[in-house]
Amino acid sequence: MKDNLPDKDGFFGEYGGKFVPETLMYALNELEQTYKTLKDNNDFNAEFHKDLAEFVGRPSPLYFAKRLTEHYNTASIWLKREDLNHTGAHKINNTVGQILLAKYMGKKRIIAETGAGQHGVATATVAARLGLDCHIYMGSEDVRRQSLNVYRMKLLGAEVHEVNSGSATLKDALNEALRDWVTNIEDTYYIIGSVTGPHPYPMIVRDFNAVVGYELIDQSQESFGRMPDSIIACVGGGSNAMGIFYPFIKMDNVELIGVEAAGKGIETGEHAAPLNDGTPGVLHGAKSYLMQDESGQVKGTASISAGLDYPGVGPEHSWLKDIKRAKYVAVSDDEVMKAFHMVNKMEGILPALETAHAFAYLDELMPKMNEDQHIVINVSGRGDKDLNSVVEIEDIKL
Amino acid sequence: MKRIEKKLKELSQDNQKAFVGYIVAGDPDLKTSLELMHLSVDSGVDILEIGVPFTDPIAEGPTIQQAHDRSLENQTNLQKIVDLVGKFREKDSNTPIILMGYINNFLIYKDLINRSHDLGVDGVLVVDIPGELSLEDYGIDNQDLDVISLVSPTTSKDRVKEIVKNSTGFIYYVTLRGVTGSSNLDGNEIEQNIKYIKSISSIPVMAGFGIKNSDDAKLLSSFSDGIVIGSSIVELIYKNSENKDFHEVSDYISTMKNAIR
Ligand SMILES: Cc1ncc(COP(=O)(O)O)c(C=O)c1O
Repeated sequence: MKDNLPDKDGFFGEYGGKFVPETLMYALNELEQTYKTLKDNNDFNAEFHKDLAEFVGRPSPLYFAKRLTEHYNTASIWLKREDLNHTGAHKINNTVGQILLAKYMGKKRIIAETGAGQHGVATATVAARLGLDCHIYMGSEDVRRQSLNVYRMKLLGAEVHEVNSGSATLKDALNEALRDWVTNIEDTYYIIGSVTGPHPYPMIVRDFNAVVGYELIDQSQESFGRMPDSIIACVGGGSNAMGIFYPFIKMDNVELIGVEAAGKGIETGEHAAPLNDGTPGVLHGAKSYLMQDESGQVKGTASISAGLDYPGVGPEHSWLKDIKRAKYVAVSDDEVMKAFHMVNKMEGILPALETAHAFAYLDELMPKMNEDQHIVINVSGRGDKDLNSVVEIEDIKL
Repeated sequence: MKRIEKKLKELSQDNQKAFVGYIVAGDPDLKTSLELMHLSVDSGVDILEIGVPFTDPIAEGPTIQQAHDRSLENQTNLQKIVDLVGKFREKDSNTPIILMGYINNFLIYKDLINRSHDLGVDGVLVVDIPGELSLEDYGIDNQDLDVISLVSPTTSKDRVKEIVKNSTGFIYYVTLRGVTGSSNLDGNEIEQNIKYIKSISSIPVMAGFGIKNSDDAKLLSSFSDGIVIGSSIVELIYKNSENKDFHEVSDYISTMKNAIR
């Protein structure tokens, strides 16, 4: 099994690449060169890992979910607690890494797109720490759903730009961030928030998140003496999934399961599950599975979770799907809400709505497992940011 | 001789610069687009660049984005746009036509694109495919179609060489760092960069992005073989779409054409 992709042009099989306007090529090539020289540089890595330990609080624990395990009464369920990271999600791993790249490149201005606001908060956080000018693009629909995170970004000194074009969600925020970058190409570093976008981003974001998977190798050995049988993660752009999957790609007996947002149901067409119900196409600089119509126009998406509400997906996932190394499933909004409550009540953990997608797949998976097996769920983030949405969805009077 | 080459030869024999005019097909509707194509040519446009609308046009500023959105509300697609070109050709067989858009739409319609030369299309400009890659690798490989590439202020000299090798028709020199419709032209830099392209190739170079008034047009045409204007025309079309009286569009085009004479 190959884990040395992408190739020199940024492709994972037929997926990936750099499909961008000419002006951006310079910045992408500059970033690629910088990353190539720093990736194996001891000082750079020491600084990255020191920040992960002291600022993020790594390693995140691998926690045995006793009551959930008893509830399903088959395999042992373990939780990789990315929700305990500083700022509340796996997103900080990537931003801590990329801000170091920005620093080494001497960039003074930071931009990012965000959906759920977790990546925006994580970016504003690392920018504040270095005193850099920070601009976050966010769809106006998401600004509404994730208003707590918007306020947090402002507290951190970032300027939040509301995006009203298109569907006013994550995809449009990404468009606008790319437009900003084209305009301010020389002094600006674009911290992309998932394993999406043109090469080298899918590789860089994966590598910075892969710390999650590498920790899991050691923790599995310590906790149950071998590698897990299955690893489950939610997939929006796919960074938390890619981070935990990557070190296991070559371990053929570890099953990798990505859970997409089926929204109102795959059959309704109102979802955000390109790997389950999309076709290959090019969006935001990379070829990958995409929700598009027969004319090649990108379709609107639907999901209760802002962070998964995206019509594309990282190219490496498309490749893993085609070679059948990972399996991609989807769960509906209703199933997610059920899982959200279950995890709160049984484990005392408030998961993000994105993360609740991974838990929602347990109903289907667990009856097929047996008692000697071990599965790991990547708890990508905590759900404090989602309380407003949940209250609204369930029509609760506070 | 291909239509673009022929047109540019004629213009240069007359000591004239080319005016490339951009409109979005289907904005406000396809029937009006046909009218606007003829009106543009009658008013002074030498080469028509027809924008193919896409849901996520990352190189466009707000003016052209919104034109894409309006066009998509009419279900415009590449098939209908090629049909539009066919209708245009019933009355005009001289004016070169270039389809400008994004790779995702071109991939879906690649068989049509490969046949489109026979249907009256002269060239394609795919905004989000790097110029050193060849469209052939993506299944678009009709030798009769010119492939126009972009070179920008941030393109390195090595890459310019590669891009020029893969281009026919002309090079579209992007005159600023930014999206369409921005305004921060740097005359000196533009002149230097176009000189460099000219020093390594005999391919004509058009300058575009950010040209708004006669002064911009005059300045840029002084170091290029012609200019491209998009956002300003698209804006005027939108402004007059209600009553469909487009004399403001034709006045603007004439003024710009006079400026580059
Ligand atoms: C907690 C959490 N999990 C998952 C995601 C989805 O992103 P990805 O698929 O890149 O991990 C997000 C995105 O905002 C998130 O906030």
